[in-house]
Amino acid sequence: MSRKPAVAPRASIGGGGGGVPGALAISSDDMCPVCKTIRYLNKDMEFLINPECYHPMCSNCVNRLFNDGPNQCPYAGCHQTLRRKGFRSAFFGDLTVEREVDIRRRVAAVFNQVEDDFETLGDYNDYLQQVEDLTFDLVFSGADEGRRRKAEANLQQWEAEHKADIERNKKAGREADETARRRLAAEREAARQRRLEAAREAEEERLERVRSNEEALDQLAKGDGAAKVQLKRRGQQGRPVAAPAPEADGAAEVTGAAGRLSIRGLKEKKRAPESTGPYDPFAGYDFHPDRYKLRDAFASDWLDGFARDPKHSTGGYDVREYYARAMFDAFSGMGVFIGDEKETGSLDMSAREVADFGAGMAAEQSGPVVAPSIRMEVDDVFA
Amino acid sequence: MKFNIDDLPVLFPYPRIYPEQYAYMCDLKKTLDAGGHCVLEMPSGTGKTVSLLSLIVAYQQHYPEHRKLIYCSRTMSEIEKALAELKALMKYRAEQLGYEEDFRGLGLTSRKNLCLHPSVKREKSGAVVDARCRSLTAGFVKEKKERGEDVELCVYHDNLDLLEPHNLVPNGVWTLDGLLRYGEEHKQCPYFTSRRMMQFCNVIIYSYHYLLDPKIADRVSKELSKDCIVVFDEAHNIDNVCIESLSTDITEDSLRKATRGAQNLERKINEMRETDQQQLQNEYEKLVEGLRGAGEARDEDAFMANPTLPDDLLKEAVPGNIRRAEHFVAFLKRFIEYLKTRMKVRQVISETPPSFLAHLKEYTFIEKKPLRFCAERLTSLVRTLELTNIEDYQPLQEVATFATLVATYEKGFLLILEPFESDTAEVPNPVLHFTCLDAAIAIKPVFDRFSSVVITSGTISPLEMYPKMLGFSTVVQESYTMTLARDSFLPMIVTRGSDQAAISTSFQVRNEPSVVRNYGNLLTEFARITPDGMVVFFPSYLYMESIISMWQGMGILDEVWKYKLILVETPDAQETSLALETYRTACCNGRGAVLLCVARGKVSEGIDFDHQYGRTVLCIGVPFQYTESRILKARLEFLRETYRIRENDFLSFDAMRHAAQCLGRVLRGKDDYGIMVLADRRFQKKRSQLPKWINAKLEDKNDNLSTDMAIGIARTFLRGMAQPFRAKDQEGISTWSWEDLQRHQEQLADEQIRELRARQDAPDTMQGVVANGGRVHDGSDYGMDDDEEEEMMAISA
Repeated sequence: MSRKPAVAPRASIGGGGGGVPGALAISSDDMCPVCKTIRYLNKDMEFLINPECYHPMCSNCVNRLFNDGPNQCPYAGCHQTLRRKGFRSAFFGDLTVEREVDIRRRVAAVFNQVEDDFETLGDYNDYLQQVEDLTFDLVFSGADEGRRRKAEANLQQWEAEHKADIERNKKAGREADETARRRLAAEREAARQRRLEAAREAEEERLERVRSNEEALDQLAKGDGAAKVQLKRRGQQGRPVAAPAPEADGAAEVTGAAGRLSIRGLKEKKRAPESTGPYDPFAGYDFHPDRYKLRDAFASDWLDGFARDPKHSTGGYDVREYYARAMFDAFSGMGVFIGDEKETGSLDMSAREVADFGAGMAAEQSGPVVAPSIRMEVDDVFA
Repeated sequence: MKFNIDDLPVLFPYPRIYPEQYAYMCDLKKTLDAGGHCVLEMPSGTGKTVSLLSLIVAYQQHYPEHRKLIYCSRTMSEIEKALAELKALMKYRAEQLGYEEDFRGLGLTSRKNLCLHPSVKREKSGAVVDARCRSLTAGFVKEKKERGEDVELCVYHDNLDLLEPHNLVPNGVWTLDGLLRYGEEHKQCPYFTSRRMMQFCNVIIYSYHYLLDPKIADRVSKELSKDCIVVFDEAHNIDNVCIESLSTDITEDSLRKATRGAQNLERKINEMRETDQQQLQNEYEKLVEGLRGAGEARDEDAFMANPTLPDDLLKEAVPGNIRRAEHFVAFLKRFIEYLKTRMKVRQVISETPPSFLAHLKEYTFIEKKPLRFCAERLTSLVRTLELTNIEDYQPLQEVATFATLVATYEKGFLLILEPFESDTAEVPNPVLHFTCLDAAIAIKPVFDRFSSVVITSGTISPLEMYPKMLGFSTVVQESYTMTLARDSFLPMIVTRGSDQAAISTSFQVRNEPSVVRNYGNLLTEFARITPDGMVVFFPSYLYMESIISMWQGMGILDEVWKYKLILVETPDAQETSLALETYRTACCNGRGAVLLCVARGKVSEGIDFDHQYGRTVLCIGVPFQYTESRILKARLEFLRETYRIRENDFLSFDAMRHAAQCLGRVLRGKDDYGIMVLADRRFQKKRSQLPKWINAKLEDKNDNLSTDMAIGIARTFLRGMAQPFRAKDQEGISTWSWEDLQRHQEQLADEQIRELRARQDAPDTMQGVVANGGRVHDGSDYGMDDDEEEEMMAISA
């Protein structure tokens, strides 16, 4: 048999929380009133109550007392017989509220009329008040057993009389709850979707920004706009570059690859060793004429005599020099479009280039063989 | 000076006017004529208040409607300043017109500032003053007295009843001091004088809260008519004010107090049932009729008011299950217990009001409808019980307000339960935040009710953000630049230290010694060259503390100490005001001082550093909000989903408006000068978000400087500023005399005529031009021919 502790059942357990501070500050939240175990000794102590009498005790006590079947409540003066099955943990800290809510649950199950069931709002409010009065009688009647019993009887009577209504409303209520729940879930889902969407959008935007940045860089590197200008400027020689600078070459490759980002790095590395050729004072400028071909001899009656004349050749005169100059004179203006040059504003540039070209030609001529250019665009004037 | 804007004669109390003031007035008048809302940004220190007041007063007096002006400002000092300006203006008007106009201007502030009662006014806390005042002035106390009971009354308040209710004070402008003095002389309560006279005066100047906070707005500002002109000055933070006025935090402590309050109520009800059954019965009958049905107008001394309940609901009867007092108290207790249980959860929860209500109903059988009436029902009960020590019920009222709000709004609010103060905290200290996410909710009644609302501030860029966030549309949206005879302020963005290392307070690098040292060097250098006062802003207290301790270790503070006194702002208001006082002294006597403060602190908002009090402002780091806060995260998400404002946009907008606010502190007028330094790499990309008037003066070459370059430029600038500068130099450029103004007006008129003529000549080509004063370009000015574009590309490539 268990000893009954002399702890008076407290109306509000843990509700106040404002116990006397000091040495005795062990609140009811921390000590089991039955076995006096304190939370310090049992960290995960859990309090259980039985809706028969709402006396709290720790789960150990419940196991100890009620494992062998129904037993009396260990609280002094409480003569309820409790079963282990009935014990549960309380939702509210204040056990009077817990009890009230349990009663309300019962009442609400019976009195579940809604506003639409009534003629006027006033009637509905009166009804609500009646229900509240009845609930109060059930909850707070205390010593007045008569009122409680009467309320109980009223409740049962109403339940019996309005069985159909109650069922209908219950169903309607359940449905309403269900739709509300579904709506909430849908809303939450929608919010989640929107959040994902936004995250994706932000990510896309970031990528887009990176891409456009890269594109701009690429454009700068390979110079779309610049290329146009360069071509015009060097139009007189047709294709300008024979041994281009390594960077320019890399960029040109990228043009082919339609601006794919990763390619550029790769190709650049491959090209790197190739580019370290011998030093080129003209930085890859090609002096080979491409609009005409310089041959060793052109058939011309009046020149043949000079070519063979030892008077000239002994002095070091080479008739090929003459050919070259004549050819250059004949072609040098071709491929220069004054209009274009004006537009790009690089007329002076091209003039200088022409001069360069002439100088280059002269330099080439000193070499023994003039390699013929493959590109023939204009017929031979001497032919 | 007297001049006309269109047909409206304006009396301006100064002999000269700034061009931007004139433009401001014109736009203001346009708004008032059109009857819409507007957002206006005018640089700080260019006489915004006086131009606003003189135009609106002129408008009031000239047109027969006599539209009332409600001028809302943020702090006490600003309210006082505005009142003083108004007083000077009215004096000038009287001189010019030769007679006193029938005009009354009043300011309103809390009871604490306006109390004359010998014992009540000595109370420190505003809440206590309010409560004690109510207990001395409430209607039922007076009734008791008449019944012969021994209760104390406030003689100042009672004397008011002896006067004519519409003529408690004579005409004129009453500053707060003036009102106090008048009240003392005539033994009448200044607070209630002001409250009761509100419907009878032409200009009211008070704090935002009287209009925005639904708990007081309903009581104080109910009787104002629809055609009032409402002005929100210093409105750059208006969205936060709106949000705060509808948000509540509930802690375990406040719940405990609320429980105690509910228990007290229960006891009182029982007492009353024994002594005075009739009273309760009367209340009951009244409630059966409806909250306001019985014609019970809520008087000025009501305990509290209902937060934003729609009017139709107030006319409805109170739900039956909380009609009786004891039912209602049990209802409250149940609700509080439920909240307590929720607070026990040890993980963070965020949920929407509908889901909260569903859960509540499942566990406590509390329906939504009675919950909505909670606040109103409590007010009625408190009135019936004739409670005097009202301050004890404050926590209970908070809970009731929370209940009403949570049941009224489904959208725009969020409940966030944070069981721990920080992520590392071990001891739980749960707080239930009920946060409003939508600034538009609180301000909506204002926009709905009043036809003209003017929102203005020195820093309110970007302008289009505010209409978006607050949910209104504008007639006029303008930002004015500052016309200056010489460039008297120098904004700079410093992105690198002298060693070319980037400086930034972004989270990854903020504690790196190199960054801290570079910031330290920046401070030292500027302390060396700046005369007198210098203000430094940090993004947060936490960062300020850590950086100051690091500087101490590096010996930087010792270096600064050679040139300037160092003073620090703290969260404690008294300490800060002491520091400020010392700072002012040091600036005045030539020692010079550096004030280290926080960009969101008190100093950054309300304190001016004019002239020698601030020659350099140094903004260290972009003052972003603490982004890990759950409330902020929720708000960002809400903004994105509802108003399509992206998180980063909002954060950066918010940071920049605070930065601009800090910068604006040093320049308080046209004869003032100062250097504005923004020291963070990230400012470079954000410069477009600065107010127009600052951005216009921020030259391109100055937006990416290193410390040494900045110092060089600042030196040159200061040397320039040291040259004598006479008021005469400004004339015709940054200040206009009457002749200048006439010339300008003629010019404008000419332009208008020319435009009209052009429109007449070519009526069909002008269709694209919007008739908006010719302000709108039709876009072709900026359009480029394809050829031009190509050429541009070629050149840039």
